[in-house]
Parts: sequence; structure tokens; C-alpha cells
Amino acid sequence: MAPRKSVGFYLSSGWLALVLLISAIGDNLPLPAYNDYDFDNAGAGLFSGKHILGTDIDGTDTLSAIIHGTRLSILISFSCVAVAMLLGGALGIVAAYFRGRVDSIITMYFNVTLSIPNLVLTFAMVAVLSTATPSDPNGRIPRVLVLIISLTFALIPILGRLSRSSALSWTGREFVQVAESIGMKRRHIMWNHIVPNVVPSMMSVGFLAAGVVIVIEGGLAILGVGTDPGQSWGSLLAKNRPQINDYPLTVILPAIAVALTVMALNFFGDYFRKRIDNRESRI
Amino acid sequence: MALALAKAVTVLVLATFGIALLVRLLPGDPAETLLPYGTPAEHEVLRRELGLDRNIFVYYLRWLGDFVRGDFGYFYNAGGSESTKVTTLVGNVLPRSALIMLYTMILSLLISIPVGVSLAYKADSKYDKFTSNFLFAVSAVPNFVIALVLMYLLAVKFQIFPAIGYTPMSDGLFEHLKSVFLPVASLSIGLVATQTRLLRTDMIATLKEDFVTMASSKGLTDRFILWRHAFRPSSFTLMTSAALNMGALIGGAVIIEAIFALDGFGLLLVSSINSRQYLAIQSLVALVTVFYVLFNAIVDIFYAVVDPRVRSHRGAA
Repeated sequence: MAPRKSVGFYLSSGWLALVLLISAIGDNLPLPAYNDYDFDNAGAGLFSGKHILGTDIDGTDTLSAIIHGTRLSILISFSCVAVAMLLGGALGIVAAYFRGRVDSIITMYFNVTLSIPNLVLTFAMVAVLSTATPSDPNGRIPRVLVLIISLTFALIPILGRLSRSSALSWTGREFVQVAESIGMKRRHIMWNHIVPNVVPSMMSVGFLAAGVVIVIEGGLAILGVGTDPGQSWGSLLAKNRPQINDYPLTVILPAIAVALTVMALNFFGDYFRKRIDNRESRI
Repeated sequence: MALALAKAVTVLVLATFGIALLVRLLPGDPAETLLPYGTPAEHEVLRRELGLDRNIFVYYLRWLGDFVRGDFGYFYNAGGSESTKVTTLVGNVLPRSALIMLYTMILSLLISIPVGVSLAYKADSKYDKFTSNFLFAVSAVPNFVIALVLMYLLAVKFQIFPAIGYTPMSDGLFEHLKSVFLPVASLSIGLVATQTRLLRTDMIATLKEDFVTMASSKGLTDRFILWRHAFRPSSFTLMTSAALNMGALIGGAVIIEAIFALDGFGLLLVSSINSRQYLAIQSLVALVTVFYVLFNAIVDIFYAVVDPRVRSHRGAA
């Protein structure tokens, strides 16, 4: 039986639905534009006229800025998780199924990558990929793509290790042994018998990973290597951080958006994990 | 044991070699970045000094040879002034990073152990449900969000703690503790949330064991059973996660160091990546990896101490 849907479930799904909706249509809402400098109302507080959540030091509407940042935060987070799930998931399943040397090599790769703090690793990757030299300030690869590649690189071993341990609990099962004994091709066994069982637990981890990406992206922005200022939640709060003394809301509000989203994503991850555990215990 | 050591050394070598590869891929001519006002001849000397005139393997082995002998290379100053030894820089930042890590661990364990035990004792009560849900929500809040909120509330609005900077212990213990309170609190809150939940889960499982029923039928007090019988076997996951977090905090507390302007180990690493300090990046990442591997090993030894059964047979961890 699925766990009873709690208040948290409705709150989380409501918030995530809102975030997705906003990232789709955000810039078309009847609000002041995110890059509109309303100098007369610079630094306005909450509920001041047309600026519901106030403005920053340049008079930019805080609500619009947060809404504008949603799209890139979500885009980066979801695309990293999707790619890392495919690559990490595949590596983990292959390692678990073939065991032996293949397993040792893949596991070693995971351990080596995990031994470097993921923020430091992504930071180094961003430094390598972005070729901002004086002659070529923008670099070869667009900023967002640099971030996505770097974050994915750090995410692969995390998801890969989980996929491996999840796959390991299936590779020894009777139905796999039967499939092997009747001479089924290994590729088919992996694809038909192992992948479908690993996918649900990967999905639940995927929600957690999406939250992790949002957090690391915010961290990179604070270190000055995130997306262009104000384009994502992280870079928005990094941009306004020097003003925390005078305009705290412009920092705290994007931070709260990050926190709520990560919370909702973690809740979903946990919810799906419980459902899978329940399904398992029924077998 | 020998196998574990071999594995740890392999991870160290591969991780540092991987970083050597990454470092060599960094865009731009390092000699010109490190000595922008140097003559071509000086650039050539620097390239040879860094080992950049040789292929990656020679470069790596030379660095490794120096590293194991305690020579971590130099941090070059763009202005052309004297370059600084990386060991000196590490000596400056490591004590504060290590202290912050230690305080964080102590504070988070001091809170999470009693709370975790009491939640397990009152499992499924209203108190447990509310606290557990609350902790679940808190564990999802990124530490930079906690840091910014705490900074605003406790340093800007009510000016109880300094907003930025680090005071060493030699300038007074009280001032020192005040200066590290906010960063330590920001790092601890998330840890408390995760660690309490880990302990609660394990403790609930232990409390269902026969030896606990046995102890309580002997008439031992609940308090005695909780702390003397049930806590130790329930503390494995907690201790593992605590030790691994310690390893991760040395280089991974970068954001907190940046927010509170602490100039710790993480920020040193980030700034050496930023300014293309080839040998410094190599050596610092190697140190981080050493810590990570070291704490992993400590966890293994710790298991054997806490649970004698592990000495002969290492269970699935």
C-alpha cells in the first residue's frame, strides 16, 4: 500500500508544480520586467505599490528577478540529473552485472571522483572548460553548458554508485539466474530484467540529485563562477549578497526559493523511496 | 588491512593524477598568467620549474616525488614579488579549517545524540513525529541559505556576532569562539538534522532486539538501557556519517568560508584554481584526498573498536 498522502505531499507537489509553471511562462506574467531598473523605487520593502516583494539597490523587482531565475535553475538542475542518470545509471548497472574487473575499474573511478569534494571538482571543471582569456572573454562554450557539463561530471559517480548498489540486489535473483540458464543474451538480461528494477530507485534518487545540483550551482555562484549575474537563483542571491546589510530581502528571498525547492525535491525523493520499499516488502 | 591500504593509495594516486590532467588542460599559458611582467627567458625558467616542458607523466612523477617529501611547491605572485611556499599557506589555513571542522563535529554530535535517542525512545509519539518532520525539512536547507539567514539575523540585525572574519585563539578564547560561532552553526544545523535522523532509525531497530527486552525484564531503568545497552550498537551509521563529513568539511566548507570571509583551506584551493597555481592545486587537492581517505580508514578501525564482531568479520556496511 502506498503511504498515506500527507500534508507535506500536497505542499511539495504544489510548490514544484508552481515552480515548473513559472519556469515555463514566467517572463510573460504581468509583472515589472526583471531587467527594468525602477530607480525611483530602489530598495523598496515588501508590498510597496507594484513591487510585491520589494526591489533591490537598482530598483529591480525582486519577485520578477526570482521568477526569471527559476527557468535557468530548473533547466540546469534537470538536464544535469537526466544526463548523469543515464550515464551513471548505465555504468552502475554494467559494474553490478559483470562484476570482476569491470566492476573494480568502474568502482575505482567512482571512488576517485568522490574523494574530491564535489564543489571543488565542479569549480576546477568550470575553470578548465571556460576559456575566458583577454582575447576571447566569452570562451568557446556557452556558460550554461559549461556549468551543465561540470555539474554532470560531479553527479555521475554519486548516481552511479547508487545504481550499482541497487542493481547488485537484483543481479543475484532467481529470475536472472533462470534467464542466464536458458541462454538469454546478457544485453537482454540487463535491459529486460535489471534496468526496469533499478529505474524506480534511480527516480527517487534523481529528485534528491536535482536538489543537490541547485545547491552546488548556488555555491558556484557565490564563488563567482555561476551563471551570469541574476540569471539563476544562485547567481541572483550572489549578486545581491554585498547588500545584505541594507536590502536583506533581495538575498533572503531567493535563498528561500532555493530552500523550498530543495525541500520539495527531497520530500518527493523520500516519498518514492518509501513506495519502493513498500512494494519490495510485499514481494 | 593491506588490501585496504593498497586501495586507499590507488585512490590517492589516481585522484592526483586526474587533477594533474585537469590542471594541464587549464586554458591559457601558465607562465604568462603567473608572471605577467616576466621576460620570455623568465617564463622559460618557470615552465621548466613547473615541469610543463615535459609530458604529463614526467610532470606528475616529479610533483609526486616532491609532495611525498613535504615539498608542496610555490604559490606565485602575479606582481612579481617573492613567491610563497604552499606549505606556509597550508600552515596558515589548516589550523582554522581543522578547528572549525572539530567544533562543527562536537556541536552537532552534542545535539544530535541526545535528541536522536529521545526521539527513538518516544518513537511515533506526537513529539517524535513533529521533530522528525521538522528535521527532515531542515536537512534539505542548503548551508549557504542557513548561513545567510543567520548572518542577517545575528550579525546584521542583532549585532551579537561579527559578520565576517576569523580571530585566532591567541587573541582571546571568547573572541575566537565568537568569530567562529556563525560558520560553525551554519555547518552544524544541517548535520544535526541528518545525524539525528540516522541515529533515531538505528536506535528504533535496536530497541526491538531481544537483549533490550531482556534488560528491561531484568528491571533495569529505561535510561540505563538506552545509554548502556542500546546506544553503542546503534551508533554505527551515525559515526560513519560523522567521520565522512569531517573528511568532507576540510575542503568542502568553501561556501561557508567565502560567506564569512574565513580564508580557510577551501578558499585557498579555490583561489589557486582561479590564479592557475599549478603545483599548489595539485598539492592541495592531494591533501584533501588524503583527509578523505584517512577518515574512511578511521571509520573502519572505529567499527572494530565499537563492535568486536567486526574484527573477524567485516559486515556489509
